[in-house]
Amino acid sequence: MYQITFKMRGENRLVLAEPGISLLDAAQNAGITIDAPCGGTGSCGKCRVLLLEGTLESEKSRHITEDEYEEGWRLACTSMVSGDAVIAVPASATAYEDSLSSDFTAKGKNLSRYPELQKQLSEAGIGFKRTFKTVTAKLPVPSLDDTMPDNERLTRYLRDKFRTERVEIPFIVLRKLPEVLRENDFTVKCLVEVTTDRLVVFDVLAPKADAFPCGIAIDIGTTSVSALLIDMERGKILTAASVANRQIRYGADVIHRIVESSKPGGREALRKAIVEETINPMIRNMCEEVKVPTTAVCRLSVAANTTMNHLFAGVYADPIRMEPYVPAFFEINPVSAGLLGLDAHPGARVIITPNVGSYVGGDITAGVLATMMWNDPQMTLFIDLGTNGELVLGNGDFMMSCACSAGPAFEGGEIVCGMRAADGAIEEVKIDEETMEPTIKVIGEEGIPVGICGSGLIDVISELYRCGIINSRGQFIRAGKRVKRDSEGKGIYMLVPKEKTATGRGIFIDEADIDNFIRAKAAVFSAIRTMLAALSMEVENIERVIVAGGIGSGINMENAVRIGMLPNIPLEKYSYIGNSSLSGSCMALISQQAYEQILSIGRSMTYLELSTTPGYMDEFVAACFIPHTDETLFEIGG
Amino acid sequence: MAFVQKPQVYKAAINTVELGVGEKKVAVGGATVSPLYSFDAPIANPPRVGIEITDTGLKGATKGMAEFYSGCNSLADIAKRAAQAPGADFVCLKLEGADPGEENKSVEDCVAAAKEVCGAIDKPLVIEGCKNTQKDAQLFEKIAEALQGKNVLFLSAKEENHKTVGASVGLAYSQKVGAESACDINLAKQLNVLMTQLGVPSGSMVMNLGSAAAGYGFEYVASTMDRVKQAALGQNDSMLQMPVVTPVASEAWSVKEAIISEEDMPEWGDQEQRGIKMEIVTAAACLASGSDAVILKHPASVATISAFIAALM
Repeated sequence: MYQITFKMRGENRLVLAEPGISLLDAAQNAGITIDAPCGGTGSCGKCRVLLLEGTLESEKSRHITEDEYEEGWRLACTSMVSGDAVIAVPASATAYEDSLSSDFTAKGKNLSRYPELQKQLSEAGIGFKRTFKTVTAKLPVPSLDDTMPDNERLTRYLRDKFRTERVEIPFIVLRKLPEVLRENDFTVKCLVEVTTDRLVVFDVLAPKADAFPCGIAIDIGTTSVSALLIDMERGKILTAASVANRQIRYGADVIHRIVESSKPGGREALRKAIVEETINPMIRNMCEEVKVPTTAVCRLSVAANTTMNHLFAGVYADPIRMEPYVPAFFEINPVSAGLLGLDAHPGARVIITPNVGSYVGGDITAGVLATMMWNDPQMTLFIDLGTNGELVLGNGDFMMSCACSAGPAFEGGEIVCGMRAADGAIEEVKIDEETMEPTIKVIGEEGIPVGICGSGLIDVISELYRCGIINSRGQFIRAGKRVKRDSEGKGIYMLVPKEKTATGRGIFIDEADIDNFIRAKAAVFSAIRTMLAALSMEVENIERVIVAGGIGSGINMENAVRIGMLPNIPLEKYSYIGNSSLSGSCMALISQQAYEQILSIGRSMTYLELSTTPGYMDEFVAACFIPHTDETLFEIGG
Repeated sequence: MAFVQKPQVYKAAINTVELGVGEKKVAVGGATVSPLYSFDAPIANPPRVGIEITDTGLKGATKGMAEFYSGCNSLADIAKRAAQAPGADFVCLKLEGADPGEENKSVEDCVAAAKEVCGAIDKPLVIEGCKNTQKDAQLFEKIAEALQGKNVLFLSAKEENHKTVGASVGLAYSQKVGAESACDINLAKQLNVLMTQLGVPSGSMVMNLGSAAAGYGFEYVASTMDRVKQAALGQNDSMLQMPVVTPVASEAWSVKEAIISEEDMPEWGDQEQRGIKMEIVTAAACLASGSDAVILKHPASVATISAFIAALM
């Protein structure tokens, strides 16, 4: 056993590691998250760490230059423990995995969406009756004259207090009830849910215990997983978190994940990766932050795409990827947290929002709820940008949906300096046409850049094109101080030189990144065109466009239109609503009626399978150009 | 009621691109009607036919080819004979030997070969690369420089090398350049846009939209050409109005009908005749789909196709 010290964010963590295991595994075993989107195969180069003292047995990598190797830079995944060592973990290596709150604490404005949405939903007739309560029950102390059993004693008390016929004390509560009652002289705190026909006791605790009924709303994305912890009694959001989906080591997109899950033991491995390695740590962290036990989590709501909710529930998903693309379920009855293996109250009900098709899932039905388009006569185009881009077109009368595979570029995946929209992400870029010098805006108070997130990518590519630095194919055509060529002749635009980053490594964008991004934007735009064509509609018929997705705190719509990602219609018709799936999931969590509305949305949406739609591939190739092969679509004022 | 013809003449036209200099120069393109629809309106320039020779000489020539070129001892001889083939409007020198995977001839050798051929013929010259994009870019640059003023067409610039090829061939040495894409109208147009953005005049460009031997997925070629012509003529899309030049020889002579020997397949008959037929049907199909020029290898096919064109004009 050797001693490895990880230095990160001014904190030292000592870990004991066996010789020969990889540094990445050593860190992960100790709960230190080092970003490895490729799953530790050495191909992505994101797990860069700095060897300060001691030894490591490291393979050379194309991601590390000779100079950098001399300085001590290594890839954690291809470095084997071979002695004591001190390792510095830079911000970039943890950025993708950054566990807590980064999206939200930095910007209160993201949370302000929820009360506003709740107001809109209330106006549309959705009730927000709070059903969870904390009750201090003062029970009569038993005596020889009063030998009523404990559960009966509590039942009677609650029945009288809430005037309800049925009181349920689940087995898990019953098992602890006698001791808790006696330790606290028969005065206990109860976490209960009261509905019209029954009362369920979720927990009994000491009267002074720090606990109240909590709920957790989750959005499981292919690349990122986000969650909110809600005080279910007061209806307040207490904290939020966003982490990378740990299934990412099984592949970047849903198809690879399904393929992996179909291998022997794969389904369980994928389920564990999302439940035990991704969601449970997030729940524990959030509960720890607000100082409640995880057993106080009495309800959960999960919005996820079809593949993700199948893998989350441990349901065979292989038919989703094969013709005729049939999932195991669209709607699924709520499941108990215990059955799903979630770190919450085992009896907590877990709502899973319904799917519409094999590639339009519960994240979209939840998202549609959050857009309010289901209650609006205006022709609305709703676009959720993620690893899978989903579109919904329609209004209160009808809704049609489709999905396209955009890849992880919008979430910073498969982009050399890409990252999620977290602290340190460059989210806005402007470039001076003359000098080619950039001006950037970074998420977070510190303002030290770590990488580029989706909204920053849209900006930088649009600006490079506007300034004539790249051509319509995304190839560099201007030379200058900022534009360089790497050893393979690939063009690079240097956004931030290495002296000014948090990582000691320059932040840049290269031609391969741009190419990835062009394909992502082309997938979205061609899907829009194909769906409009399927409905015999023109872009002019669209009265508003709502864009969602965790790609930044906002999107510069003008830039998104300039590169041909979104249709050329007046900018005032556009709005950005952030993570709509999480918003919808949150509403379903706190309101039964909102959940029912999502079910109704799911039932009323139709689904267009693009892969079998003639002409989609053609549209896609036409859109793989900045702004588009048909330039008339993007003429100014056109 | 008598049939009343409604000529389908478009307001737009395919660009006219001149190749070569002097008396024997040829103009390609210029049509305002659908391919071969000379009954709708006169076609400015009939489709042209090129004859292909290679820098590797007569290696692997069929019996008939060897007969046609008999007595030729140098590349210049071969070129001269090719230029005299009945029906040949231009000569295409294919630099097969430059392929780094094959003989890997040096750029200097290829420049010398090109000069030799150019000096031996009075008809326009087309240079076809070895399909290795990097090597082609080097070859084209040097050959374009060496043959300045000869108005040579280079086939082709692809997406990977269009910047170098466009800048040297099209801009620096004012030669003609072909833009090659793989049977996709959007890719074809994108490359044309990129080349024009570089500054290559659209009048100096032709397109190679890709080809396939007839029966080998030719419907992709046909539909791509069809759509390109529709966009060029019907929608006046200036980025698709470049004439289409299709090298047919290499496709036609590499399918089983052309390469399986008579010994192996006696019921198919003479191997060379089969190759010629493949070349002829493929070229005819290309012309019917929209090629403004085709490049063929066998003198018999050249003669047949040029007679076919003449009969339809």
